[in-house]
Amino acid sequence: MGRKLKFNIFRYNPLDSNSVPHTDTFHLEETDSMTLFIALTRIREEQDPSLQFDFCCRAGICGSCAMVINGRPDLACKTLTKELPTEITLMPLPVFKLIGDLSVDTGTWFRAMNEKVGSWIHTDKTMDPNVEEERMDNSLAEEIYELERCVECGCCVASCGTANMREDFIGAVALNRIARFMLDPRDQRKEREYFEVIGTDEGIFGCMGLLACEDVCPKDLPLQDQLGILRRKMGWSAVKHLFRFG
Amino acid sequence: MAIDTTIYVRSPGVGSALFDWIQMLTGVGLITFMWSHMILVASVNLGAGAMDTLAHFLEATYMAQVGGPLIGATFLLHFILAARKVPFRAEQQSTIWKHARTLHHLDTWLWLIQAGTAMVILIMGSIHMWTVLTDLPITAAKSAARIQGGFWLVFYLILLPMVELHVGIGFYRIGVKWGFIKRSNRKGLKRFENILTGIFILIGLITLIRFMTLPV
Repeated sequence: MGRKLKFNIFRYNPLDSNSVPHTDTFHLEETDSMTLFIALTRIREEQDPSLQFDFCCRAGICGSCAMVINGRPDLACKTLTKELPTEITLMPLPVFKLIGDLSVDTGTWFRAMNEKVGSWIHTDKTMDPNVEEERMDNSLAEEIYELERCVECGCCVASCGTANMREDFIGAVALNRIARFMLDPRDQRKEREYFEVIGTDEGIFGCMGLLACEDVCPKDLPLQDQLGILRRKMGWSAVKHLFRFG
Repeated sequence: MAIDTTIYVRSPGVGSALFDWIQMLTGVGLITFMWSHMILVASVNLGAGAMDTLAHFLEATYMAQVGGPLIGATFLLHFILAARKVPFRAEQQSTIWKHARTLHHLDTWLWLIQAGTAMVILIMGSIHMWTVLTDLPITAAKSAARIQGGFWLVFYLILLPMVELHVGIGFYRIGVKWGFIKRSNRKGLKRFENILTGIFILIGLITLIRFMTLPV
């Protein structure tokens, strides 16, 4: 017989004027290899069909099931209940707009972020579909891919003290995007252009180094190292600009 | 993140970067000063003569008279720059405390300790600097008399851990922010920082005990 699990789940429907934010409690018996995805689906099917939460891939790839699990943002689909105590508290991610219960709208935020940092390869070359792609050194391609693995789940933003306090802070995910394009030789943006996007208190200089992003990232992206590299690069860029060299 | 609807976007300039540089450099300067300061004061453990000789040297070369106010100015500059990040608005205060309590994340708590100790150091550090620098020369006997009065003993028993925690956490955080502490060496360097903080608090306590027992 499995453990008896107690779930405390945040409930609120902002579209319903009678809805008041509160916590509902549900009980389930733990089964083998139970993930939070399985548990929430069972609660919705067996106990309360009105429970709102997001899922898509169930394999830690789409990034839609991020929520605050016993205080820590993480992906529900890759969290096994056996790794948690018998009492599990689930809250929606902070910072993002609440859709209802555990479901938040990360899409609007991420679209605005990607537009702000120009999250695409900036080039004046026109693509010729008949020509073979330009070659890239394999180790560089792997380095870029390492940062490209981000699934935009929003855990780094939700766990960031700065992003929680200041809504204009762009967060580790945006800085990681910029770090990825800085590595890419196809992107023709100059250091100064990157500086204009992240060389401010809303960008890299707003980061206080609390490292929650690094510690909660479900994809284990090297955020700490990238933030350090960016701060140094942008710091030097400012010095070079000030003394008019480089 | 706020959605940016501005049509005309001004180029950001290097202001934020410079502030961050100066915050870091004043921080490094003050950390170095605080460690040197502790070693100089702890010289009393080798005898009142050792401390008096060092203090005399610093005054004869005008390092105390000029350096003291300079450290004071650096201290205030560092406070002003770092305070840009401190949540003074009630709403931000409430957010960061709730955030830290739910997240169970040590580095987030360390930042709150850093910001909290900063406020105490701003006031107590200023009082300490004023008291010492307006009553030169520094001698072991005068320091001992002050501490044996009782009030200053309590004062320094509070200020000592505040400073050492702030300096230790600041040292670690500068390393993290500027990329000297990486994922690969973070654990080890954090441990090193904790041990260093512990050692400095211990030296400070031993020095306070020495002042309590020094004949005045």
